[in-house]
Amino acid sequence: MIAVDALRASGHELETRDPDPDRDRIDDVVPRLVILPRTGEAAAGALRWAAGQRLSVVIRGQGSKSGWGARPPAVDVLLDMSMLNRILAHEAGDLTVTVEAGIRLRDLNAALAPHRQWLALDPPFGEQATIGGLLATNDSGPQRHRFGTPRDLVIGIQLATTDGQVAKSGGQVVKNVAGYDLSKIISGSFGSLAAIVAATFKLAPVPEASATVAIDRLDPDGLASVADAIAASQLEPVAFDLHVEQPPQPAPPRIDCLIRFASFRRVVEAESASAAARIAGLNQPVTVVEGDAEREVWASQSRRPWSGAGAVVRLAWRPGDVRPMLAAAIDSAGAQGFELAGRLGAGSGLMRLAGPDRDQRPVIERLRASEALANVVVVRAPLELRTREFVWGAPLNAALMSGLKRELDPAGILGAGRGPVPSFVERPV
Amino acid sequence: MNASFLAALRRIAGDDGVYCEPLEVLTYECDALTHLRQSPAAVVLPSSAAAVQQIVRLCANEGVSFVPRGHGTGLSGGALPVEGGIVIGLSRLNRVLDVDIRNRRVTVEPGVTNLEITRQVAPAGYYYAPDPSSQQVCSIGGNVAENSGGAHCLKYGFTVHHVLAADVVLPSGDLVQMGSEFADAPGPDLLGLLIGSEGTLGIATKITVRILRRPESVQTLLAAFDTIEQGGAAVSDIVSAGIIPAAIEMMDTLAIQAAEAAVHPGFPAADTVLIVELDGPDAEVRELFDVVEQICRTNGAATIEVAKTEPQRARIWKGRKAAFAAMGRVSPNYYVQDGVVPRTRLPEVLNRIRQLERSSGLRIGNVFHAGDGNLHPLICYDERVPGQAEQAEAVAAEILGYCVDAGGSLTGEHGIGVDKSQYMPRMFSDVDLALMARVRSVFDPRSLCNPGKVLPTPRLCGEVPGPYRAHPVERDGLGERF
Repeated sequence: MIAVDALRASGHELETRDPDPDRDRIDDVVPRLVILPRTGEAAAGALRWAAGQRLSVVIRGQGSKSGWGARPPAVDVLLDMSMLNRILAHEAGDLTVTVEAGIRLRDLNAALAPHRQWLALDPPFGEQATIGGLLATNDSGPQRHRFGTPRDLVIGIQLATTDGQVAKSGGQVVKNVAGYDLSKIISGSFGSLAAIVAATFKLAPVPEASATVAIDRLDPDGLASVADAIAASQLEPVAFDLHVEQPPQPAPPRIDCLIRFASFRRVVEAESASAAARIAGLNQPVTVVEGDAEREVWASQSRRPWSGAGAVVRLAWRPGDVRPMLAAAIDSAGAQGFELAGRLGAGSGLMRLAGPDRDQRPVIERLRASEALANVVVVRAPLELRTREFVWGAPLNAALMSGLKRELDPAGILGAGRGPVPSFVERPV
Repeated sequence: MNASFLAALRRIAGDDGVYCEPLEVLTYECDALTHLRQSPAAVVLPSSAAAVQQIVRLCANEGVSFVPRGHGTGLSGGALPVEGGIVIGLSRLNRVLDVDIRNRRVTVEPGVTNLEITRQVAPAGYYYAPDPSSQQVCSIGGNVAENSGGAHCLKYGFTVHHVLAADVVLPSGDLVQMGSEFADAPGPDLLGLLIGSEGTLGIATKITVRILRRPESVQTLLAAFDTIEQGGAAVSDIVSAGIIPAAIEMMDTLAIQAAEAAVHPGFPAADTVLIVELDGPDAEVRELFDVVEQICRTNGAATIEVAKTEPQRARIWKGRKAAFAAMGRVSPNYYVQDGVVPRTRLPEVLNRIRQLERSSGLRIGNVFHAGDGNLHPLICYDERVPGQAEQAEAVAAEILGYCVDAGGSLTGEHGIGVDKSQYMPRMFSDVDLALMARVRSVFDPRSLCNPGKVLPTPRLCGEVPGPYRAHPVERDGLGERF
């Protein structure tokens, strides 16, 4: 048992409860205590208390990505941010919003919808994902093609640090170069440096209409020609995606491509017609989907890499190198099947390895060794593969990251070693 | 500066790469914030990343402060030398290392100018999006340090949205890569932190940027209004209509008069003019331009001029871009401020500025990026009148207070540098600033890398605020303040 009397006596607005072994576990590790702060100060107070006792803390929103990252050796405290879920400020005319970290993206966008605005992120698990979790993982979806990732949209952040303070950087305005932008080092930190209390984002108008140009059953050359034609055009899609289904070889892969336009109705009509004409000119069959059918196409694209069994790996390629990427994926998978959903503009994708668990390690190793690929990170995998070294690969800038960790979290309590920041305190299990 | 240190610098950068005579280092005494001056102990001009690394390592070993400098066009004293320290000028690292149209990226050394990147890729139909008005002369390394924007950042974002990777010499002398040529480099975004850190966290020696396909179509209009409220309402209505223009710029009477006197852009004699530029696919620009025009009319635009030709468009922009330098036509001296307010608070803050104009007796021209609420008040004064320079500075500081009160920022694009570091406590608490200082200490524990910039410290000895003076670059017509 963790003695929480001192924490309760601190007067912070928070609740504590015993963990639910099913809902609150991180992988196979059940934390010893759940703390639910109601304010940023309470979150900071809880962190300070935990630091004082050298308790390992994992920060969680709705837990949609709890299975990502390395398997934690031990977790004492689950800092559950779900009660910090308010919209703090939204001035429609400024196209900005300030929210607490625990708010779900879905709930935020539902609240913005009457103003015909949205936070332009369409990540996987968008129904559950919270703002804090999205920032901490910098996760995104197909429309990163136009809008970028959370790090591109955040303009201010409020953090609770392990010394019990609440500090901010950035601000409420889109254009602002005053001081260091600490939201950037929180982006991708996986909750290992500080807890996100609130953040301010720039918003985008909700478009009047959208349509998707779908090109089904391309061969690799056809895919490359479509990718080159769209990249060379002056069309401005909001998403440009690829889906590959590779059955166990030697069967050929099924390759589909999706190009989405979203703007005013007449613009969407003109742009999608222009895209369709270009692609038809390459002798590729094209359909244009709209309405419910279009929504289903994208919902399915978002679900696909996650819905089947097997490890899911994030990987990146040079955007002009879609053919070498595909060859590397096929070669690495060997006899195994895989599924890949990716962003052709950014050169980024998620690959699900469909083979048996025991065969996945060598596939991932081959992906890592490929010249055409980089930033290969294990997102979902059997526990035995989820060591930090194997999940994250060789650490980049380990010294700087350890330095940041040491400075912001000197007791080494945050993140339980799940994230990419090397921990200098290896807690005994 | 001791002789052995200078000899070591010469061994690294060659005899022609080290300056220490007073006359030789004169150019490096200031950046484009010309009233702040400090003579450096030496200036070193390395020609390679390896040389930069050796110099920084030498400084780290000897405990000598160093100030990185690009092409000296910064407006907040970010490249102001520090007493007893050296300036590391990056102007000789000016090679374009790789132009990769296929993957839509270009890799350059930090001394390459912003516009040179666009020049390299323009024949293929591409461009580099951030367009600070000094883009003909400013260096990409300086853009990284300042997170430069430009008139079109409303739609396209800032330097931080366009740089993919950088090689960086840390204050320890270690050379690291931040970011990745590939998407999704795992871990905290150190590159994002570096960009906009004003040369305090390290020196970028190689920078890879993303390039964009040229938009199919560009359309620009100039609308004149009788009141600032009408112009402001038009801006709000454009944004509320779901339109994100490439640029929305506003100028008030005094700025219009000055621009007319200087470059004769043919602006109407109005209280406020609004310049709106749309770009993108033909279909989109055609469709939305009509909407924008209608919104301007609905909000009472007295006249609307649509640029039908490229020369017409260039003329409108010339009027806008000349506005700063043109203030010299209507006032002997002026002070340029850079602050940001939320777009919806623009009319209120502009009215406060007009009241301040009346109460101070100093004329204030306003030229600003209305789309993102970035104000550039130009405070006119005459330095021959005793006390007026100080009064102008006080007025400029007062306006910054209005910006912060309205929920805005101390700076939208010129940076904090030394110019505004003392105002940082107006925007950030001690706790905020302490956290920033802790992050800085991870990179530069001995405070050798561009010390005294960004975060507040006691004012430097001999440092006095002062009036706007033309930078040599500006005087020679090579660059404009924007």
